[in-house]
Amino acid sequence: MTALPLLRRALADSWRGLLGWAAGLAAVIGIYLPLFPSIGGNPQFVAIIESLPPELVSALSYDQITSGAGYVQGTVYGLIGFALVAFAASGWGAEAIAGDEERGTLELTLAHGVSRSQVVLERSAAIALQLVALVAWASLLVAALNEPAGLELDAEGIAAGGLALLGIGLVTAAVALLAGAITGRRVIAVGAGAGIALGGYGLNALGNQSADLEWMHALSPYHWAYGSSPLGEGLDASLWLLYGVAVIALGGAVVAFRRRDVGV
Amino acid sequence: MTAVIETRAFTKRYGRRTALHGVDLTIEPGRVFGLIGPNGAGKTTTMRVLLDIIRPTSGEVRVLGEQPRAGGTALRRRIGYLPGELAMDHRVSARALLTHLAELNGGVERGRLDELAQRLGLDLSRPVRALSKGNKQKVGLVQAFAHRPELLILDEPTSGLDPLVQQEFLGLVREARAAGETVVLSSHVISEIEHAADEVAVLRAGRIVEVSPVARLRAAARRDARIAVRDAESADLVARLRSLGTVHDIATSTAGGTTTVTAHLSDGLTGFVQAIAGVEVLDLVVEEPDLERTVLAFYETGSDDAEEVGA
Repeated sequence: MTALPLLRRALADSWRGLLGWAAGLAAVIGIYLPLFPSIGGNPQFVAIIESLPPELVSALSYDQITSGAGYVQGTVYGLIGFALVAFAASGWGAEAIAGDEERGTLELTLAHGVSRSQVVLERSAAIALQLVALVAWASLLVAALNEPAGLELDAEGIAAGGLALLGIGLVTAAVALLAGAITGRRVIAVGAGAGIALGGYGLNALGNQSADLEWMHALSPYHWAYGSSPLGEGLDASLWLLYGVAVIALGGAVVAFRRRDVGV
Repeated sequence: MTAVIETRAFTKRYGRRTALHGVDLTIEPGRVFGLIGPNGAGKTTTMRVLLDIIRPTSGEVRVLGEQPRAGGTALRRRIGYLPGELAMDHRVSARALLTHLAELNGGVERGRLDELAQRLGLDLSRPVRALSKGNKQKVGLVQAFAHRPELLILDEPTSGLDPLVQQEFLGLVREARAAGETVVLSSHVISEIEHAADEVAVLRAGRIVEVSPVARLRAAARRDARIAVRDAESADLVARLRSLGTVHDIATSTAGGTTTVTAHLSDGLTGFVQAIAGVEVLDLVVEEPDLERTVLAFYETGSDDAEEVGA
């Protein structure tokens, strides 16, 4: 009953927000996936895609849109679902330290019998659990719509896509948390989290444009997640880069937060 | 080291601004110790360092025998802290927040939260963020006292409390002292803590300009006196008062055969009582000592002068 009090408090304080994000994901999945037969599987629509500038098509990852896996990645996992998860993650990551600190409420917590590391780790664990819940929810919905929408995804693909989305969420949250742990400023923390997600998206889109720019893929967390088309191709080793970077950022957050003054 | 709090040459800088310039402070166990100073004098900074919320730039700080950072979690569990800028916007009830905070300190005896809440007149079932400033302050006091810590560090504890609750708070402080706990409290006005504190340190611009028992401050403080005598004796009385050298601003007014002499007394009452014993006093009023003005004198004069005043 007395184990992990900060984790339990964080979860109790955030379930409303979590429900909101879950509803948003459900709406995106519920709107896009049933449309697959009339878009990706529709020769007229495919003709429209082919008439677009190829740079635009590759930037949006629409070149794979005729397969179920490509369509789900191009619309949900790699676009709107990605944006929702990234914004939720950067908000949570920023709130964990910087938001709490800016509102002046962190001081009271820290004056009690908790260590700085414990605050960072328990709150990170709460964020991770929320991201797991969001991604599991999205995966369930995709699995449920797989047959009716004719997506032809296999279980490994859905699992790999979920791990990619979760990894992106964890990196985003961890970087936001790190920036908040260093600066104590919520705006900077949100910006850092959103920056890593959107920056990764941008690097991936640029890297898609030509062989000369392909090196940018190596720097893009977005590409680590989706470059190997996890929904169609299954697990790829590059996915674990996301988890590695998230752990490193978290370690940095612990070190930074232990060292500095709070609330000044 | 037997002191509960001991600092030596304790300095805190924020960039170029120096908040505390080499503070030496010793607080003995079982005392109620007041930190007095205007806003920005360094009271909150001092308290935050004691809780390891911020770190000293240089110098030595020991709380219950340990450095705040090294003492960590175990040390903070022995301390109850009320922040000066108490921010609480929690959606949960006061009871849920207090239970959570108590849990962080390893729990609190059954019924303790209710007992404290009842004494201060706090409704635990209401959401924290819907509480008024005074009621939030009560939540802050309850969490500080809940686990019966050895050391209480209370930043502006009476801020926002109505007079009845202030009395109850003073009762809590007295009980804590009776139980052997040490209490450090701050205020920008001494009147809020003079009845609670045994000893005060006056902080000004990051320096301690005076440490004195409250009793001594009170003895040295200026009092207003009003003495009524027959007209015939007024000249004698004024002469006696003048000869003391510690009575200032002597003024007289006459009405209906009675002369009222008003004056300000400094430095105790003994000489004054002896001086007026030789005349027939019709009426005598000596006001409560004005500690506020004594403390203000420390703020206004340089630190060197202030030491002389206190000597």
